[in-house]
Amino acid sequence: MEAEVIKANILLPTHLSFKRMQMSDKYPKGYARGRHWKHLKQILQAENYQNFPPTDPNYVNIESPPSMYPSKKFCDITGFEAPYVDPRTTLRYANANVFKSIRSFPNEHVQRYLSLRNAAVVLK
Amino acid sequence: MGYGGARRLADSRLCKDFKGFELGETVTIVGDHDPALMKYFDCTRSSHRSAFDGNVVYQFEIMEYILDYGFERMGADGSQVDHPILITECVCNPVQSRSKLAELLFEGYGVPSVAFGVDAVFSYKYNQQLGVCDKDGLAICSGLNTSHIIPFVNGEPVFEACCRTNIGGYHVTDYLKQLLSLKYPNHMSNITWEKVEDLKMEHCYVALDYASEVRLFQKGAKEAEEKNRCWQLPWIPPPAEEPPSEEEIARKAAIKEKQGQRLREMAAAKRSSRITELENELQGLEFLLHQLENVQENDVPSFLSETGYISKLEIESAVVRVTQSLKKAKREQVEIEEKMDPSMTEKYTLINIPDNMLSPEQLKEKRKQLFIKTTSEGRQRAKQKRFEEELDRERQNELDEKKRLENPELYLEQLHAKHRELSEKFEQRKRLKVNGTHTNESHNSSGGVGRGERLNAAQKERMRLLTTAAFDRGKGEDTFGTRDEDWQLYKLMSKDIDDDDEGQDEDEAELARVTSRLQDIDPTFVAKSEIGPFQTIVEIPRFRPLTKEDFQIILGVERFRCPEILFQPNMIGIDQAGMDEMAGISIRRLPLKGNSVEERITNSILMTGGSCLFPGMGERLEAGIRKIRPFESPIRVVRASDPVLDAWRGAAAFAAAVPFSEQIFSRQDYYEKGEDWLRRYNLRQMIAITGAFHFSQISLGQEREPMAGLTFARGLALLYGHSSKSCAYDSPNKMVIRKKFKLRDIKIRTVFRVELSLVEFGQAQLCFSLARTLL
Repeated sequence: MEAEVIKANILLPTHLSFKRMQMSDKYPKGYARGRHWKHLKQILQAENYQNFPPTDPNYVNIESPPSMYPSKKFCDITGFEAPYVDPRTTLRYANANVFKSIRSFPNEHVQRYLSLRNAAVVLK
Repeated sequence: MGYGGARRLADSRLCKDFKGFELGETVTIVGDHDPALMKYFDCTRSSHRSAFDGNVVYQFEIMEYILDYGFERMGADGSQVDHPILITECVCNPVQSRSKLAELLFEGYGVPSVAFGVDAVFSYKYNQQLGVCDKDGLAICSGLNTSHIIPFVNGEPVFEACCRTNIGGYHVTDYLKQLLSLKYPNHMSNITWEKVEDLKMEHCYVALDYASEVRLFQKGAKEAEEKNRCWQLPWIPPPAEEPPSEEEIARKAAIKEKQGQRLREMAAAKRSSRITELENELQGLEFLLHQLENVQENDVPSFLSETGYISKLEIESAVVRVTQSLKKAKREQVEIEEKMDPSMTEKYTLINIPDNMLSPEQLKEKRKQLFIKTTSEGRQRAKQKRFEEELDRERQNELDEKKRLENPELYLEQLHAKHRELSEKFEQRKRLKVNGTHTNESHNSSGGVGRGERLNAAQKERMRLLTTAAFDRGKGEDTFGTRDEDWQLYKLMSKDIDDDDEGQDEDEAELARVTSRLQDIDPTFVAKSEIGPFQTIVEIPRFRPLTKEDFQIILGVERFRCPEILFQPNMIGIDQAGMDEMAGISIRRLPLKGNSVEERITNSILMTGGSCLFPGMGERLEAGIRKIRPFESPIRVVRASDPVLDAWRGAAAFAAAVPFSEQIFSRQDYYEKGEDWLRRYNLRQMIAITGAFHFSQISLGQEREPMAGLTFARGLALLYGHSSKSCAYDSPNKMVIRKKFKLRDIKIRTVFRVELSLVEFGQAQLCFSLARTLL
C-alpha cells in the first residue's frame, strides 16, 4: 500500500483482536451478504406504537404537523415570487421572460424542475 | 467512549463505509474520503454506504465497520473492549435499532456496559455548563437529515413536547445541486456533491425576510449584483491566432498562384492530348469513308464489320460527333441545336414512315426514336421557359431599380411593409407548427391535443379520419392495409407528412430575398428574426468561440434560496412546518404550563447541529419566534459554542461525571432483562454534569490546552472503569508528560503513559487519548 494511504489511516485492518468474531468470518467472502436489514419504515411498523399509551413520545409521535400558513409560491426557475402558473407544464413562473424560456425546455427538464417541488408525474 | 463525535460525524455522512479494491484485495475504508487518496482504489464496484436511514441506524453491518474503526483507532487491544460505552442517538430512537446496537456491542465486542443518550440534550447540557443557556430553554438542533426542537424544563428534556421535521443539511445541499445542474447543464460533471457541499458552507446564508430579499434581486438592484458570487471553472482559452503578417500573406498568395498555374498547365496538357486524339479519330473515320466509297455495295457489311461500324450512316454520324467535340475542345462556338437538327432528322427517319410499311425491328426502332424526340423536345421547351423566366426577372429588377431611383423612400417603405407581412406569416406558421408538434409530443401518441389548442383544418381532418377508422371496423378482424385506398388514408393520417412545408419554402425564399434586398439598400435595417431551426436556450450557439463567461457559475438567488427550505419545507414539497413554526408547536405541546415557563424557555434558545451554521440564522429564528409569541416577551437566541461537536463534548462530559456508572445498562442487565427493558430506559441527566465540570474549569486556568481537550481525555480515562482519573496532554501529536493535579474533592492519580493517535474524521480532528494508569 502506498505510504500516503497508510498514513491517512483510513483503511480498516482485517483482523481485530478485541472482537469475538471477525467480520470476515461472519460475512464470508463469496456469499451473498445477508443484507436484509429493515428500512426505517419497516422498523417503525414493527414497533407497534399503538400498543402503548399515545402520550408517550415515540418516533412517530414527535413528527411535526403540516404548516399552518399557506405556502408561498415561488418561481421554479428563478426563485422570485411567482404569481403565474403555466397551464401546460404546471410550472410556476415570475414574468414573461421566464415564461419564454419555460416554453423552450425539453420535457425532461420540466420534469426535473417539477420533481424539485415533488410535483413531478411519476409513472409506476 | 468518545463516540459522540464520531456518531455525529456519522450523521453527517462523513463516516462512510467504503469498499475499495486495491491490488486485488477488497479493503474497507472508513472515514471521509479524500479525493487524493481515492485514486489508489478502484471504486467502480462499490460506493460509499452510510449506516443511517434518516437519523436511525439500520444497517448494522456498516455500523460494525465503523465501530471497528473507532475502537481500533483508539488502540483497543486485548480480547475484548473493556470499557463502558456511551452512545448518542436520535430522539425517541426506535427500540429495535437501539437493541440491535446493544446486541452488537455486547456480543460482538464484549463491552461491560452501555448507555444511550440523545445528542441534542448533551449539547444543551454542555452549553448550560458553559453558561450559554439556562436551565429552562429550547434546543433547536438541525442535523443532516432532520431538525429537532426539544424544550427543557428544569434541566430535563421534555420529550412529549419534542418536535421533528425531516429536513436537514442533506436536503439543502441536494436542492442546491439540482438547481445548479438545471441551470448549467453543460457543467453537470463539475457540479459534484462534495463541491456543492463546500459551496453551501461557504456561500449560503439565511435571508431575514425571503420575500423582500428576492424582490431586491428581481429589481436588479446594485446590492443584488454585489451579492452574486461567481465560481469560475477551470478554462483554458484557445491559443489566439495572430493575424498573419505581410510575409505570410505574400507567401500564401504565391503558393496559391503556383498551384493555379500548375492546374492550368495540367488542364491545357489534357486538352491538347484530347484534341490530338480526336483529330486522329477523325482522320481514321474520314479514311474509312473514303475507302467505303471505293468499295462496292455488296461488300459494305463485311467490310464494315471489321471496323466495328454497321452502316455508313453510323460512320458519318461518328464523324460529325468527333468534329463537334474537336471544335468544342478548340473552344469554338458551336450551334449545337443547329447541328442536332440534321442528325435528328436523320435519326428520326423512321418516324415519318407510316407503320404498315416497316418491319417489326424497324417498328421498335421507330418507337425508340419517337421517345427520344419527345424527350428532347421537352428538354428544349423547359430550357426556353427558363430563359424566358430569366428575362422576366431581369425586367422586374430593372423596373424595381427604376422605381427605387425615382422615389427611394416610398420604395423602402413598401419593402419594409412587405417584409413585415412575410415575416409575420412565417412566424405564425412556425408557431403553429411548433405548437402542434409540441402538443403531439407531450400528449399521448394518438395525437390528442390539449384543451386550449385550436386545431387547424388539416389536423381536424386527420382527427376525423382517425376516429372513423378506429371505430369503423368492429368485426374483430383488422383488414386495414389490404386495399389501396387504405394506404392513401394512412398517408393522410400520418403525422410525419406535413403539407405545410411546400408553401413554407416559397415564403421562406421570398422572405430571404426581401431581407437581403433591404439589407443592401437600407443601412438601418436589421433582420428581425433568424430563419433557422428553433433554438432552445439550453444550447450554446456554436458559431462563436467560447469565452471565459461560459465557464462561470453564478450563485445569486440560490445563496439564500436553498437554506430557506429549512424554514419553508413546502418549497421542496415536504409538507411539514418550518423551524420557526416548530418552536411554537413545541411550546404548545408542553404538558405543564404555568409559572411563566414559556417566557423562560424563549429566553434561552440554543441553536446546535451542523446546519445551524448558516449566517443569519439566528436573526431569522428570532424574528420568526417573535411573530408567534405575545408582544414583548423576552426572546434570546444563541448559538452553541461549537455546533458541530458539542454533542460529543457533552457526552464526554457526562461520561466523566461521577454518577455515570450508576446509569448504565450493564451486560448483566442485558442478559437478565433482555432488550425490551431498553424501551423504558431513560437517561437522567440532571445531576450528572454539574459537579464534575467545575473543577475542570478551575484546573485549566493554567493550562494551555483547550478545555475541551481535557474533557476528552477525562472522558476516555473514565472508560477504563476507574472513577476518577485524569490525564492531560501537551498538544496534539505529541507524547504527554506526566502531570499531577490536586483538586478539591477528587483525588487524581498520576498518569503514567499516554499515547496519542490522531484520527481524521472528516473535517474535524479529534484527539483520542488512551490512558493507562496505575491503580
